Amino acid sequence: MNNSSSETTVMPDDQGTSLWQDAWIKLSKNRLALFGLAVLVTLILVSLLTPLIAPYGYEEQNLDMGATAPSLQHWLGTDIFGRDMLTRIMYGGRVSLMVGFIATAVALVIGILWGATAGFFGGRLDAVMMRIVDVLYALPFMIFIILLMVVFGRNILLLFLAIGAVEWLTMARIVRSQVMSLRNQEFVEAAHSLGLSQWTIIRRHIIPNTLGPVIVYTTLTIPSVMLLEAFLSFLGLGIQPPESSWGLLINYGVETMEEFPWLLIFPGIALSLTLFALNFLGDGLRDALDPRTSKD
Amino acid sequence: MTYLSTNWSLYRGKLATELGLKLFLALVFVGLTGCGSGESNVSAGNKNGTLYWGNGTEPQTLDPQIATGVPESHIISAVMEGLVLKNRKTLEPIPGVAESWDISADGTVYTFKLRDNARWSNGDTHTAHDYAWSWWRALQPALGNLYAYMLFPIKNARQYYEGDISDFSEVGVKALDDRTLQVTLSFPTPYFLQLLDHYSTYPVHKETIEKFGDADQRGTRWTYEGNLVGNGPFQLVDWKINRRIVVEGNPHYWDANNVSLNKIVFIPIENIVTEERMFRAKQLHVTSSLPADKISVYRAAKDPELRIAPYLGTYYYRLNVRKPQLKDPRVRRALAMSVDRQRLVDNITKGGQIPAYAMTPPGTMGYYPESDLTFDPEGAKRLLAEAGYPNGEGFPSTEILYNTNEGHRKVAVALQDMWKKHLNIDIRLLNQEWKVYLDTESAGQYEISRAGWIGDYVDPNNFLDLFLCNGGNNRTGWCNEEYDRLILDVAPSMSSLKERLEVFQKAENMLLDDMPIIPIYTYTSVQLVNSAVKNLDPNIMNSPAYKDIYLQADK
Repeated sequence: MNNSSSETTVMPDDQGTSLWQDAWIKLSKNRLALFGLAVLVTLILVSLLTPLIAPYGYEEQNLDMGATAPSLQHWLGTDIFGRDMLTRIMYGGRVSLMVGFIATAVALVIGILWGATAGFFGGRLDAVMMRIVDVLYALPFMIFIILLMVVFGRNILLLFLAIGAVEWLTMARIVRSQVMSLRNQEFVEAAHSLGLSQWTIIRRHIIPNTLGPVIVYTTLTIPSVMLLEAFLSFLGLGIQPPESSWGLLINYGVETMEEFPWLLIFPGIALSLTLFALNFLGDGLRDALDPRTSKD
Repeated sequence: MTYLSTNWSLYRGKLATELGLKLFLALVFVGLTGCGSGESNVSAGNKNGTLYWGNGTEPQTLDPQIATGVPESHIISAVMEGLVLKNRKTLEPIPGVAESWDISADGTVYTFKLRDNARWSNGDTHTAHDYAWSWWRALQPALGNLYAYMLFPIKNARQYYEGDISDFSEVGVKALDDRTLQVTLSFPTPYFLQLLDHYSTYPVHKETIEKFGDADQRGTRWTYEGNLVGNGPFQLVDWKINRRIVVEGNPHYWDANNVSLNKIVFIPIENIVTEERMFRAKQLHVTSSLPADKISVYRAAKDPELRIAPYLGTYYYRLNVRKPQLKDPRVRRALAMSVDRQRLVDNITKGGQIPAYAMTPPGTMGYYPESDLTFDPEGAKRLLAEAGYPNGEGFPSTEILYNTNEGHRKVAVALQDMWKKHLNIDIRLLNQEWKVYLDTESAGQYEISRAGWIGDYVDPNNFLDLFLCNGGNNRTGWCNEEYDRLILDVAPSMSSLKERLEVFQKAENMLLDDMPIIPIYTYTSVQLVNSAVKNLDPNIMNSPAYKDIYLQADK
């Protein structure tokens, strides 16, 4: 009668832990990764709440207060137009984080699906799919983005998608090579012999095993995407003043770093902090999610 | 004229990761400045007579009858020369290729006597016929010469350009013999000699042009390295796109013995921040400009290398009157009235610029334009309401077009906010690379665009004739026949300077009533000049006389 309940209490280890539970346990032991996670969550929360908590308006100019050093009134100083830097950095973070996450998510989805399919099925399908990737690689991506912007107009969401659409190629290659090496391993053959469908095998067995390199690559993609956005904005293709992003703030800050160092330092800190957090978290996640690391 | 471009983009087609690299390099650069390993351009140049000149942007072309920019004008004035030159301080005309000239008593017939030893850089003799042919070329409509009007004071030149006359012999340019050129004007033109030192009136080498295409064909290879034949103190020897243009002494130049420099290296650095760093690292003798935020630093240090001088130029915004929301002069006036120029020059441009309330810079030939334009946000609001946009409601989103440049961006961002604050209208910004920007503007595909006009000669006419109906540099779509009549017919016929200036004032008032443009400030030229550079005297046109410059390092 209470057999089943007593069994679970007596032998909890036999229940096993799912990949995700296991990962969480391992992750929670990794202090750096937890720190990274905490920083990221804070940044995301601040970004979400920015319109409510920002001390000033991001486009509010006061030319008479141009380029003042940090003070009680303006904690991080003001830029040359007298706009509050703290506010600008908070609003800039919204754009930077959004472009980082959305564009990377787009790249991830396309890249993983494409790479896993090509790698798993191999043969002619693989050849065709990877040649498509090669052709896209050969296209100068700037021209591609500029074309998209010219045809569809300058729209911030489109910018995110466009960046994502050119960033998935490397992801597809990484995933494909992982899948190729996994495809002939015993556990996949076992799954085959159990009669699982191809799609289930890709989803349940192949993709989780590729997560390590994918996550590492993702943490590298997010910062490069943020910088790419700054670059496009500078060329007049991305976001336009008075809006801003960290990349742009840094870009402008560099020009006056000797006269007004705070215009460079604070956005620089914000961006570096994000990148550190992403890297720590990425490292931790890789260790935590890789099923091949021992479950001690 | 000439647009001041100083246009730069930080990245030219490379990956975003360059941002980090740049930051790193910038830091390294700062660390290295002063340590100096190896010989710098400046000290090497001082020894072997090579001037390193920061030239702002890559020239669009070196064809004097097509070019329209300040960077172009520097190189062209080194490799070519007109009938007259300018005194490097006072800008008075002095003999150039013409050793002397006579002006008829009524001021309409100029007879130039050319030098016997005038030669082209390939050794060909240089005659009066070269001028007749060059000016014939300049007036070919197919060439698309935006400066064709510089020759319009010449009798029948305008009629020929506009196709009313097809026989060029009716135009008032005649080579009486190899050494004598006679020019007949339609009416006395006090500034005519000044025009002859503008590059659009320079002679071009017929054989070279015809070798590479038709005379009125644009963009042929005749101006390329190895092809270009000029008559100036220097000749083109090396042109690496976006890297450098090198000119070397021309042995056939009539005054070659008095040219001191052996070489000039023009370096196009669009990023003025980089340019300033290169100057400090002694890679350049002269910069094209200086970032606004650095001016106060140099000023505070009383650095003698900082040069700020009045500059005959107006920074203004064009309003495209063909766009529906800008059709109403009241809207245009409201925009102009809500620009706080004094705050802008004090806090953003910082180079001692003078707020401008009229198109012509004050003091041009003794002309001080009067203007009833002021900074009046309340009045502007009322005007905008009268035009049907109370408190900015319903005003369509409007775009400011500017060429990619940090300085222009700052002004645009400040104006964007002023218009938002005072008129409650939404303005977007769009930046384009210099050549694209010029095309967009010429095609009229903009709403508001940044512009700057640097005088080609010292006369109000040079600023006011921009806005003639057919003016190649008007580009606003504004056209007023009465205005055209004043500038083209009435002003030139005035016998005294005073009367002439009164006519200009009348025309200027029409322009300001209708406001197809928003004057913003009168330029100053701000640049860094190494102390070794001698005879580069400041003048209101900021035009260097390269043949006079010499280098002498301080002991």
